[in-house]
Amino acid sequence: MTTLTSPPGGAAIRHPAPPATTGRTGTPRQGGTILAVPALVWYAVFMIGPVIAIFVIAALHWPGMLQPVSFAGLGNVRTVLDDPVFWDAVRNTAVQLAVALPIMIVCAYMLGYYVAQKPPGHRVIRYLLFIPGLISTPAKAMVFYAALSPDGLANGALQSVGLGSLTDAWLASPSTALACLIALDVWSGIGFTAVLFAARLDSVPDDLGEAAQLDGAGHWRTMWRIHFPVIRDYVGVVTMLQFLWTLFGSAQHVLLLTQGGPGSSSTTLSFLVYQKAFIAADLGYSQTVGVILFLAGLVGLLAIRRAFRQNY
Amino acid sequence: MKLGKRWLPAHILVWTYAVLLIVPLYYFLASAFKSNEEIFAHPFALPESLGFGNFRTAYDSADLGTAVVNSALVTVLALALTLLLALPAAFALARSTGRLASAMEKVFSLGFLIPTFAALFPTFLLAAATGLFHTRLFMVFFLPATAMPLSVVILVQFMRTIPREMEEAARMDGASTYTVLRHIYIPMCLPGIATVLLLNFLTFWNEYLYSLIIIGPDPEQRTVQVALPTLKAITGTDYGVLTAGTVLTLIPVWVVYTVLQKRMQQALINGAVKA
Repeated sequence: MTTLTSPPGGAAIRHPAPPATTGRTGTPRQGGTILAVPALVWYAVFMIGPVIAIFVIAALHWPGMLQPVSFAGLGNVRTVLDDPVFWDAVRNTAVQLAVALPIMIVCAYMLGYYVAQKPPGHRVIRYLLFIPGLISTPAKAMVFYAALSPDGLANGALQSVGLGSLTDAWLASPSTALACLIALDVWSGIGFTAVLFAARLDSVPDDLGEAAQLDGAGHWRTMWRIHFPVIRDYVGVVTMLQFLWTLFGSAQHVLLLTQGGPGSSSTTLSFLVYQKAFIAADLGYSQTVGVILFLAGLVGLLAIRRAFRQNY
Repeated sequence: MKLGKRWLPAHILVWTYAVLLIVPLYYFLASAFKSNEEIFAHPFALPESLGFGNFRTAYDSADLGTAVVNSALVTVLALALTLLLALPAAFALARSTGRLASAMEKVFSLGFLIPTFAALFPTFLLAAATGLFHTRLFMVFFLPATAMPLSVVILVQFMRTIPREMEEAARMDGASTYTVLRHIYIPMCLPGIATVLLLNFLTFWNEYLYSLIIIGPDPEQRTVQVALPTLKAITGTDYGVLTAGTVLTLIPVWVVYTVLQKRMQQALINGAVKA
């Protein structure tokens, strides 16, 4: 992190350019801003424009790519809110966030704290923790597919320890499909998040913990009462990130592993956006859910921000 | 700090998680060298032989060779374009003190709040409207835009650490703005450039959903991440081939990670924190 701390005196060195210098050198900082324009234009065309378009399309009745488009106003909102599948998706997304986020953040924080204490083998751990962060979504999905399909790793392991009765078609069973998706999030998310926490904890001065321990605090107390408040803001930032990744990123996992099924038992909101747009070709519906998802993301971010604000 | 006996549960839990990370990956790597019968009969055994038959089948049946070339093309060109756009922008924003510049910087930092996924369908329309639908070229144009907020913000941070006297001295010698950027700023923020490159390499190489929609299933154009899931359909349940194909797509990232481990972690940590 040290590389990124800007010099505190950066602004202090600034002084008016001596008037004696020639015209060119006298205005070193003017006319430079224009260099930022291409990047800004690029960004506006490919990112900001499409995001605004979501809101426009959400107000259109557009039942397919080649169908005539008409203005629907809030009609799509009514259709979406009347659709039981939408509410299934809301429930699944809520469950996913409510289960995955707390597990991920709490475990990752403790794991990060552990690694930051530099126990024997912490280098190996650090190397391993990072691996899921490197693997692409399709590759992760393949790992889980191979592990959870009827004749895959999980069932094989259960059979070999004599628990054959517990085997299941994990990804194809309505009661476990969503749980598998959550497990995938948690499995790959904890390690990566822990590395982030460990990096931040590394920069907390050692004497802070040592002082607490001299006063008789155990590691558990030091971890939660001393270190946690110090990096509280950072935990908030990481939580926001994980929240966004889970909320919006789940579409890919669902698409690759369960296709939202069986039924709608593993349909999440972000998969619903994908499914309505590219499979059901109901574009107004899809983008209305997109708008709802967007607003949910915004509300969630503000809520997390509030929850992690320093309150002492 | 001393780690006492009471840390035993912690050690056990952490190493359990480490095992949970390794076992599926080991199973994957081992299966890549096995036949289906071998996988089902002895899922955890070491493979009996180290033949590359599965790799060859995966490589041929999913056209992975073309896909790797496509991925490499898209990744390298998008990385180049990202730097080409982000470097001058960061340079301008780091040096200027005007209100306009700080507004622009705000726009870039707000970009973190825009989840790229939400705009999938409008982006698809944009690709269709520009006539670049089903081409790799659109991804080359599109990916840098998604990387712009993070890249600009990281580079601005690095460039702000460069003392102003450096530029003023060069100006005295008659250096142009371009020369200042080229000969002072770029060489001095190489670590920042490396961070941006690594971070974006990882996201560009691993990008899936947009590639799937924009580039589509054409074996001539598709990237390796899009080709990979097709193995599941092509090979049915030949896990040996499936895992071999996946392992192939992981090799580039894994090599880069192992060689640049420290730097890669730093890059990702920097990236995530700024986000």
